[in-house]
Amino acid sequence: MNFLKKNIALIDVVFSIKNYYSWLYLSYFDLKLKYRRTFLGPWWVVIGMAISATAMCFLWSTIFNLDWKEYLTYLYSGFIIWMWISQLVVDAPEVFYGEAQKYIKAYPNPPLFYVLRKCSLNLLLFLHHVPLILVVAYAVNKKIELNVLYSLPIGMFVVFVNSILFTAIVGMFSARYRDIEPLVKSLMPPMLLLTPVLWKPEMLGSYINYIYLNPFTYFVGIIRNDLIGLDFDINIWIGALAITIFQLIIFFILYSKKRNRIIFWI
Amino acid sequence: MKSKILLENIYLDFPIYESESFSFRNKITSMSKSAFSRMSSEDKGSKVVHGLKDINFTFNHGDKIALLGPNGSGKTTLLKLLSGIYSPTSGKIVREGDISCMIDIGFGFQSDATGYENIIYAGISRGLRKKDIEKIMPEIVDFSGLGEFLDMPLRTYSSGMQARLAFSTAIASAPGILLMDEFFSTGDLEFSKKSKDKVLEMMDASSILIFASHDLELLKTLCNKAICLKHGQISYYGNTEEAIDHYKEFYEK
Repeated sequence: MNFLKKNIALIDVVFSIKNYYSWLYLSYFDLKLKYRRTFLGPWWVVIGMAISATAMCFLWSTIFNLDWKEYLTYLYSGFIIWMWISQLVVDAPEVFYGEAQKYIKAYPNPPLFYVLRKCSLNLLLFLHHVPLILVVAYAVNKKIELNVLYSLPIGMFVVFVNSILFTAIVGMFSARYRDIEPLVKSLMPPMLLLTPVLWKPEMLGSYINYIYLNPFTYFVGIIRNDLIGLDFDINIWIGALAITIFQLIIFFILYSKKRNRIIFWI
Repeated sequence: MKSKILLENIYLDFPIYESESFSFRNKITSMSKSAFSRMSSEDKGSKVVHGLKDINFTFNHGDKIALLGPNGSGKTTLLKLLSGIYSPTSGKIVREGDISCMIDIGFGFQSDATGYENIIYAGISRGLRKKDIEKIMPEIVDFSGLGEFLDMPLRTYSSGMQARLAFSTAIASAPGILLMDEFFSTGDLEFSKKSKDKVLEMMDASSILIFASHDLELLKTLCNKAICLKHGQISYYGNTEEAIDHYKEFYEK
């Protein structure tokens, strides 16, 4: 038990949970500042998304020869979830040596605190896109399954926890080795094409099982499937859970060993 | 609760990473080289600067400690170690009591936010709740003397005005163990007098004060103990007057 009390990763996790008010408020504040001096504020993201997703819908439904109505909800939901995931992945390398470095050097909040601040900012951004999916799903299908009420929060929670672990792990590596940032930034655009966001898994025909090699499949699926009434796929939940456990282990090992070094790397 | 700080055999080393050692390519080439040569990667890896060496002391409730030393002697490093920003490379550190950290008082400011927002923002970064900050807001506003400028974004402020705001915000933190780096040299005459009075008041209320400064007269009146640092080591620890004499000797040699 004494070992657990002295584990720096656990201490920081407990500290961050206790201080949820601070990082939640700060990320809300970051969001507010982001939209300062714009006329439409947060609606810009919604409008921008609506424009590009609608344009893509007409293009791709023609190319894939699909019913555009059904495809519209599929594309909207996938695209919006993808925006969240790709944004958090791209933000992850800079979490410590970006803006947070001057805070880490000036005040004894644990580095994990700034991971949570960044991740909750991205969660808040995603949250004000969710209504858009629901509106589109309702307008096209004229119904929304009630199980969205519990499956959506659970799915978002799983992605949120994974975003924290991922950001902390990648943030530490990239604070030490600055090559990680360009690597991640160049990987994300092709990942959009390799993940079932724009296309449906069944279009792959006999290659369908290859989608499970891509970790992003699980996190897009875990939120999307129930949201737009696709069939329940147990593989997606098992995969997401396995990745969560894997990341948890890496996080605890890495963070307890190297947490105190982060300040020297940035 | 009685405050207490104990440091035992504290060493703090800073690894300095050259731009080369930050990259993967270098790591990989050095790995392949080391397979053929006997040179260890440490020989060409990061340099190490010894920030603090063999620091031992115990501070008890009521101690007011002056930190003296030339630039680069480790004063701010020691303060940051005590606050928990740095962890020692080796040695034992015990802290009892709440710590208010006034090392970088501009901590948590955002240039696009207004003065009012920055007061809230900085308070929340320090772990306060919004309702607590709103309680002390009138005092901060009054003390800063910035009036209607508080409705404008921070980036429109002059550096003196920014310092005023930063200082007014920082003094709102709760007393306890107070770690303070010298900073109230900015601001106009009226403000530096006012801030000095306020600092004296705060220092009085603190349970332990550790104060790094070059203002010898001020230190003499405030502190009952002093630490002289030189090259990261304690070169003198004891009575303030004698420490100041010791400190002056650095320059007379």
